[in-house]
Amino acid sequence: MNKTKQMLVFVLAMGLITSFLLVGVSLLTRERILANQQAALQSAILQANDIAFTAGEVNEIFNDRIEVIELEEEGSDTPLVFFRHPASGNISFQFEGGGVWGPIIGVITLEDDFKTIVEITILEQEETPGLGGIITERAYLNNYVGAHLSESITISHDSVPGDPNYVDAITGGTRTSERFETILRTAYQRRADVWRTFAEEE
Amino acid sequence: MKLIRLRYKKWYNISRDGLTTNNPIAIAVLGICSALAVTNRVDNAIAMGLAVVFVVTMSSLTVSLIRNFIPSRVRMVTYMVIISSFVIMVQLFLEAFFPLIAAALGAFLGLIITNCIVMGRAEAFAVKNPLRYTFFDGIANGLGYTYVLVIVAVVRELLAFGTILDVRIMPDTWTNWVAMALAPGGFFVLGLLIWALRELTNNFETVSE
Repeated sequence: MNKTKQMLVFVLAMGLITSFLLVGVSLLTRERILANQQAALQSAILQANDIAFTAGEVNEIFNDRIEVIELEEEGSDTPLVFFRHPASGNISFQFEGGGVWGPIIGVITLEDDFKTIVEITILEQEETPGLGGIITERAYLNNYVGAHLSESITISHDSVPGDPNYVDAITGGTRTSERFETILRTAYQRRADVWRTFAEEE
Repeated sequence: MKLIRLRYKKWYNISRDGLTTNNPIAIAVLGICSALAVTNRVDNAIAMGLAVVFVVTMSSLTVSLIRNFIPSRVRMVTYMVIISSFVIMVQLFLEAFFPLIAAALGAFLGLIITNCIVMGRAEAFAVKNPLRYTFFDGIANGLGYTYVLVIVAVVRELLAFGTILDVRIMPDTWTNWVAMALAPGGFFVLGLLIWALRELTNNFETVSE
């Protein structure tokens, strides 16, 4: 009985101490992490639009050069957010969805036809390092430049060269490629009509 | 200098154990899951190695510090909680102050929790030994893991991408060995390396007849 009691006290104490420590570290770092995430999103959009910036003034340049457009989505309280570069008409938005091991979050920039891909940047992913993880690499993401984002964009190992509806899949990352295809298709479906309606009204 | 006397010092023997005689990957074959996964790029191997050095040292020190209070029936759970806490702290710290490194490491960081070396050192060494020896044990095992990882990664990155640390080494006519970037390539290189190391150091397990 005494031993059991001792064990319980130890487990409780350990749980409490580690919880407090983790909550503390999390509170201390939370603000910076959120700021870093926002800066990552903003610099990805600036980069896609070929706007020069330095790490210190990302926020300032972003607010100056990029227009934030919030559009209501049917059946949802949170609006869909689009980022437009008025000079070129490029439209960017953040997309997210389930990868193989965790969420994949990224930014895509389209030309003003809301179809041709200018650039994709991955902000967050937990794919298999070295295999599906290649999805973050610029050399791979360059395959998407010029391709057409649509409900039927296909990421496949036997892609058709020159056909803008096909993009090469990752060798050794077949499941990541499949998930990414779904993520892009869903992101497009959710936003295409909302954006087109807005663009026509304008 | 009394260099010759070094080998009678306990901290020297503990360090040598972790680095060579009982190298966690090459001899004990622990933690090879992550060793296979992250060694297709040298920069990943280095970052992963340093993170493991920190986690294995800190968690071993903590276990050693409270070793007299840990009830033996829940000691495994205790190690898990301590290791996970350190891994999460490293992760948050890097995300807050070094977002670029954190992004490059991605999933590797969280995977340190499942690295058998960390748990292995807690159970095999830290729980029975005082702080100062545990410190050397943790560092030595972490570094022992790191340098094997880097060697494997150098071979794999060179053959799979023709580069080392993203610097082009091979001539442009070099054909990349895609197999080396995949897990089987890791097995080949690691297997050959362990064979070579054991052959060179004459370190064989004797099979009883």
